[in-house]
Amino acid sequence: MKSLYIHIPFCNHICTYCDFCKHLYSYSNVLKYLNQLEEEVKDRYNNEVLDTIYIGGGTPSVLNMEELRKLFNIISLIKLNKNYEFTFECNVNDITEELITFLYKNKVNRISIGVESFNENKLKFMERYANYEDVENKMNMIRRIGINNINLDLMYAIPGETLKDLENDLKLFLKLKPDHISTYSLILEEYTKLSNKEILPIDEELELNMYNYIRNKLKRKKYIHYEVSNFCLSGKESIHNLNYWNNLEYYGFGLGAHGYIDGIRYENTKNLDEYLKGNYVYKQEIVGIREKQENELMLGFRKIKGISLQEFFDKYQVNMQEVFPIKPLLKNKDLIYKDGYIYINPDKIYIMNEILLKMI
Amino acid sequence: MNKNIRNFSIIAHIDHGKSTLADRILEITNSVSKHDMKEQLLDSMDIERERGITIKLNAVELKYNYKNQEYILHLIDTPGHVDFSYEVSRSLAACDGAILIVDATQGIEAQTFANLYLALNNNLTIIPVINKIDLPNANIEKVTNELIDVLGFKKEEIILCSGKTGEGVENLLNAIVERINPPKYYEDNLLRALIFDSYFDSYRGVIVSVKVASGEIKLKDKIKLMSTGAVYEVVELGVNTPKEKKLDKLASGQVGWINASIKSIDDVNVGDTITSEINPVSIPLEGYKPMKPMVYSGLFPIEPNKFENLREALEKLKLNDAALVYEPVTSIALGFGFRTGFLGLLHMEIIEERIEREFGIEIIATSPSVIYEVTKTNGEEILVHSPNELPDRAQIKCIKEPFVSSSIFVPSEYIGPIMDLCSEKRGIYKSLEYIDKTRVNIHYELPLSEIVYDFFDKLKSLSKGYASFDYELSDYKESDLVKMDILINGTVVDALSTIVHKDAAYKRGKEITENLKEIIPRQLFQVPIQASIGSKVIARENISAMKKNVLAKCYGGDITRKRKLLEKQKEGKKRMKMVGSVEIPPEAFLSVLKTNK
Repeated sequence: MKSLYIHIPFCNHICTYCDFCKHLYSYSNVLKYLNQLEEEVKDRYNNEVLDTIYIGGGTPSVLNMEELRKLFNIISLIKLNKNYEFTFECNVNDITEELITFLYKNKVNRISIGVESFNENKLKFMERYANYEDVENKMNMIRRIGINNINLDLMYAIPGETLKDLENDLKLFLKLKPDHISTYSLILEEYTKLSNKEILPIDEELELNMYNYIRNKLKRKKYIHYEVSNFCLSGKESIHNLNYWNNLEYYGFGLGAHGYIDGIRYENTKNLDEYLKGNYVYKQEIVGIREKQENELMLGFRKIKGISLQEFFDKYQVNMQEVFPIKPLLKNKDLIYKDGYIYINPDKIYIMNEILLKMI
Repeated sequence: MNKNIRNFSIIAHIDHGKSTLADRILEITNSVSKHDMKEQLLDSMDIERERGITIKLNAVELKYNYKNQEYILHLIDTPGHVDFSYEVSRSLAACDGAILIVDATQGIEAQTFANLYLALNNNLTIIPVINKIDLPNANIEKVTNELIDVLGFKKEEIILCSGKTGEGVENLLNAIVERINPPKYYEDNLLRALIFDSYFDSYRGVIVSVKVASGEIKLKDKIKLMSTGAVYEVVELGVNTPKEKKLDKLASGQVGWINASIKSIDDVNVGDTITSEINPVSIPLEGYKPMKPMVYSGLFPIEPNKFENLREALEKLKLNDAALVYEPVTSIALGFGFRTGFLGLLHMEIIEERIEREFGIEIIATSPSVIYEVTKTNGEEILVHSPNELPDRAQIKCIKEPFVSSSIFVPSEYIGPIMDLCSEKRGIYKSLEYIDKTRVNIHYELPLSEIVYDFFDKLKSLSKGYASFDYELSDYKESDLVKMDILINGTVVDALSTIVHKDAAYKRGKEITENLKEIIPRQLFQVPIQASIGSKVIARENISAMKKNVLAKCYGGDITRKRKLLEKQKEGKKRMKMVGSVEIPPEAFLSVLKTNK
């Protein structure tokens, strides 16, 4: 199982909270960028058959048709498995019949839409725009064209947000019947528009209540909680993201992308000029065995189902409980064992780092 | 030989420009080339330069030509802060004269007085100097009158100069030659050298700073340290000019250093006399009384296995810091450490910082305590250096605490607030005198514990920084004192206990619990913090349980960054001290000192 991530670092507008690698869209840069991206793919891709592709950003949907054709030309170099998953991230405003038809014809079978919220105050805080009817129409159109796997992003824990605001937001999200919902609680990161302002995060207790509300509500609506902040209808897990959480390998191409290939984790430069010059790798390091095992925990415990003891053993030829202090944590109910899997006590997911810190 | 030697030091209130004037003197006597010149040249410790203060005395030899004769001047730069007055007294014992500096913009201050009296007690010739005359707000006339009216100098004695521009510095050098007596002459010509300082050099062992009062010391001489009887052979000796300069001998009247491969720190006592083994004198030079520490604090290594390293660090620091005392102590919360005595808070801060910087040992310091005299019901009298040594309440007949007599120099418009502060701090009014029309010198007796706590900060803020303050221990007085414990998650943390006045207990208990609530990070469970006297809880705060510590999103494959975040959290946990099941950061143990503004 191997994946590919491609980063399109351009946006029409920079959202206040975003700390991903992004630039304002400019026509002249994009073509140069895509040419360089092609070089990188040709240079680094080893021709193996991949299982998932994810095109994220930035805002991939900001590309015009000419640029998209160029991008998908590059992607045609990639060999895909028969049962592949191919996700393309879209901004609501960019979604047109032309775009979706093009994506559908070019093998995209999953669309992720950055809706984030329908609440005016929340949207204003994020400097985003979304309208319920608009999203509803566009989702219908996507499904009509033939793409039947749609994710919606939902943000919560926005300063000023109440539990009631969240309830209303979630109600509208559910009305749209997305196949998958990714939730994000706002994190005030450095190097964002917000970091220049003095903004206090919302109360931790309220945030936990919001999280629990989302969990319970979605569960009642038959959504499966399969990762700390991800929910889906049966069979609609994001295979691409599961690949990360299973600590498996993936290519990352494009500005600021991260990859993990042949036991080496690498990070591409975030400097567009450097990238355009062809100096794409910023740093890389071989992951040692202990670090690999620790990553296995750090990532694997994000899955609600947890980590399979058998799979751990198959991967590392050692039992998990021999290299990590699992037993005392089972005893104090930080961890739970069931059917060959170890997982974080669902009541303690929101303090999962504290549990990880006891192990690594 | 002696008649062309002058030994002098510079004394002043802090910030009146001692070190800058010393810099100019070095420059004018060509002791340092312009190229090597830097500010605060004699302050060799980083910590001195960073804070712009002098902590250690420093001795240098200068050559000065006066009326076609060469004179050797020994300049000893001294600290100005009240905590370091013992350093001043040590350097004065090696001198025959002192330059008393007064800032032309400030006038005389509390420590001008204190240092002047120290010098007069040592029978030194005083040269009064008004410094910083180049500043636009210099008020030479007013300060001259203060020196005449308050300190009793004559107008013609006063020298005006600027350490910054160098103006008047030659006049000062001439006055040093003319007015200060050459060192006392001993007719027997036997070796007598006063040890006025020492430090540890990791390659050479203990280096001692001496003033040779009579006779001479040569290379390979066998010398005897009179108080311990230890004998050593001189390997190296010399003077500082201010660079270390090796010589063959130190003659009568010279101030220099000796390396005699002394490996045992205990053999060297500052204030001791060095004589010759073959031809010794029988009576040592008059030394000086060692200073007694005024406050005690527990120092504990954060990493328990650094206990021996901490002991070594303290040993080495003690070498040139006679006032530092320590003994091993055990705390339930903090493990093995040292109960350490200091002259005051600045002294404590400096030592703690030096341990961390020069020896690389991270330490936890408990809040400082004064020494209490406790009379037990069975008549026994004991000294209590830390709250945990206080006997059971039922066994205590009375507790006495140290008081200081203090003098506060302040512009008269602040008299009201300062007197309110002193009475709030349980001070006993003594007297008030006007220095001139606008400034007063207020005398109070104050409990030392209040000074250790926050008196000085409050004094400075109430007087907008204008007040200056000096104090010395006066006596012990009976007070209504109680031990206040702090309970974290239901357990008494011995390192956080304090002795407080009964009337102040509620307020202090509230402050400490509030401070701890801020400092201690949230745990996975709710943590109550209580202040109690005996079994009675007098204040309580709760630290609510941690609700969130999760990487909310984990996409795009940026695993390394998430990892770093976890590693950072792990590092943070490492410096915490586990007390019961609660993780407490080191700074919490000083929270008892912090006041809510």
